[in-house]
Amino acid sequence: MIGRVHSIGRSFYELLRRPLARAFESKQNPLNQLGALTIFFCWIVLVSGIWLLIFFRTSVSAAFESVEYLTHEQWYLGGVMRSLHRYASDALIITILLHVIKEFIFNRYRLNRWFNWVTGIPLVWMIFALGITGYWLVWDQLAQYVAISTAELLDALPIFTDSMAGNFMSDELLSNRFFTLMAFIHLIGLPIFLVFGIWLHVFRLNGPRINPPRRLMAGALLCMLLLSVIYPAISHDKANLAMAPQALRFDWFYLHVYPLIQRWSPGWVWILLVGISVVLTIAPWAPPAKKTTVAVVDLDNCNGCKRCADDCPFGAIEMIPRTDGTNYTHQASVTDDLCISCGICVGACPTATPFRSKSALVPGIDLPNRSAASIRQDIVDQAETPSDDPRVMIFGCRDDRQTEIVRKAGGNVVTVRCMAHLQPSYLDFVLSRGHADGVMLLGCENGNCDYRLGADWTEARIARVRDPWLRKRTDTTKIAMGWLAPWANIANPVKRVGAFRDALRVTEGDT
Amino acid sequence: MRLFGEIAAWATFAVVVGVLSVWPRYEMMDSGAAILTLTFSHAAQRVGECRTLTQEDLNELPPNMRRPSDCPRERNPVHIELRSSGSVIYQDLLTPSGVWSDGKVNIYKRIVIPAGPHELFIGMNDSGGDSGFDFETRARVDLQPGRNLVIRFDELSSGFVIR
Ligand code: HEM
Ligand code: SF4
Ligand code: SF4
Repeated sequence: MIGRVHSIGRSFYELLRRPLARAFESKQNPLNQLGALTIFFCWIVLVSGIWLLIFFRTSVSAAFESVEYLTHEQWYLGGVMRSLHRYASDALIITILLHVIKEFIFNRYRLNRWFNWVTGIPLVWMIFALGITGYWLVWDQLAQYVAISTAELLDALPIFTDSMAGNFMSDELLSNRFFTLMAFIHLIGLPIFLVFGIWLHVFRLNGPRINPPRRLMAGALLCMLLLSVIYPAISHDKANLAMAPQALRFDWFYLHVYPLIQRWSPGWVWILLVGISVVLTIAPWAPPAKKTTVAVVDLDNCNGCKRCADDCPFGAIEMIPRTDGTNYTHQASVTDDLCISCGICVGACPTATPFRSKSALVPGIDLPNRSAASIRQDIVDQAETPSDDPRVMIFGCRDDRQTEIVRKAGGNVVTVRCMAHLQPSYLDFVLSRGHADGVMLLGCENGNCDYRLGADWTEARIARVRDPWLRKRTDTTKIAMGWLAPWANIANPVKRVGAFRDALRVTEGDT
Repeated sequence: MRLFGEIAAWATFAVVVGVLSVWPRYEMMDSGAAILTLTFSHAAQRVGECRTLTQEDLNELPPNMRRPSDCPRERNPVHIELRSSGSVIYQDLLTPSGVWSDGKVNIYKRIVIPAGPHELFIGMNDSGGDSGFDFETRARVDLQPGRNLVIRFDELSSGFVIR
């Protein structure tokens, strides 16, 4: 059932992904950087917010005028800062929404990721609270509407005995105390919680993408700047509690539920909001995902080099003091609950080399149901399967549709869990033993790997900048990396294999 | 080519952000309407009379609990009615807050009415029974469109304030 929902979601996602994939290379694609982009927009909001704070007056009578001053007198800077503050806040709602949708449809919210998922939910509440209190501080007619509606919403909770909305009935009755409280929540309280919340959201991941690539940051900043200059944010008329605002320019990113407060009732709006949060919170266990066997350490082969721990995308490996009395100081230890069997640790382990004699291919760490030895066996078997010349050995990720297409077209495919599951010496093994003339890696594109770091580590190992690296003697022109968007129905991968074969033919002709 | 695509993508993004941050406008109410906001909190009269305790009653009580009279804590529900030019536009019976029904009632109600002249009447009964209104106020108002007229109850002067 839920798998069906995911797959329908992915078809819609394709509609957005395809045009963007034409405009951006995969690492630069905003869809592959949604969490990091959200954080980047938060930075814009923070920096512009500090500028606004310098000029803002936190009293009911002076707030509006201070914002007007920034917008009109100081339009060249204050006005731009104000617009940046608003538009970046709006932009991050889009990136959060896409971020959540993407994690959901690619099934990246269960097993060990429940923690990221669940800690993401309060972030949304905080962001909305920030947006709402922000609109409040301007103290224009929209602020008046937001203040009264929010008060009605809070009055529906059995917390306050006196009606809060009753505070907003006349300009004389409205106290500065209340306004200062809002300013405190918006300027200090929530931002502190948000920073802590984001840290909590990602701290369990190994090397979370906090910053987007430079070019993407530049694009995002320029986009926001131009929008701010061309279409600056402005206020409505000053709040006047004797009049009810009639038609408002409405920020639908933050205020979309507000019309429901009057149309339904505050109580129903709470039920809706809390209901959505509860459904999201239990989603990782509805139904629980099947757990596969986790990575297992073999102490006789582990020398405590720590490479597996450095590469595990989910921090599932801890280096603990040696327990077997040998001279090594440490050994790897897998935290079962965090491991999702990607095999990246095996690809990092220097002992996982296929050149070892057959009986002894037991690396320091291995996946019981897809062992290093079984991958070597598959390579040998595929090498004996007849194929076109020059022969290309194709490595594909488990589950990926692309791999299936190539296999059906008669390619010599060996599947691994993740491209980084394949220790680089396997590539050397294939080429130096003559099992094939070239190797093609059909992995998931950078930023879209089910195991987060598969493409990063594979590229770095082959480029010989990250341990364990590809041996010097291996000719990298015989290795093609065909990074693909997972599940996407794109450019026939069979053609890519064909093109690579042609390229190999040319280089062979040269020699 | 790539650059062109990037520019197009960011431009689309900017348009989506720019547009949805102000449009479509939200119409809160008809342009010919005004609002009456009824808001106050009020402690209604208690359900029964206080009873002066006799000497026997007092002797039965522990010394720290002795007091001259015994009053029921519970308060009456508050009946409130708002009329415009004779017809009832809002009425409600509100129970006092608190587990013992001994707290205030809190009223907060927004009522949309057509703009223009109105003969307003507001009455409140907080003594229970059908004895009519304990407090009532009349006012002639001419509401301009969009006006938010607030009706409160002022405990000091024991009367409604309309403004
Ligand atoms: C302020 C809002 C948010 C920010 C700034 C944010 C940021 C991030 C970042 C930077 C990552 C790490 C990405 C990586 O390196 O792989 C991440 C991962 C994740 N986020 Fe968020 N996030 C936010 C909201 C949410 C929400 C609301 C949800 C879901 C309800 C969510 C679900 C996840 C999940 C499941 C992951 C794990 C991704 C993976 O392992 O592939 N996030 N987020
Ligand atoms: S299989 Fe993947 S998740 Fe599990 S320990 Fe190894 S690298 Fe970490
Ligand atoms: S990479 Fe291999 S040898 Fe190194 S610590 Fe991990 S399991 Fe042990």
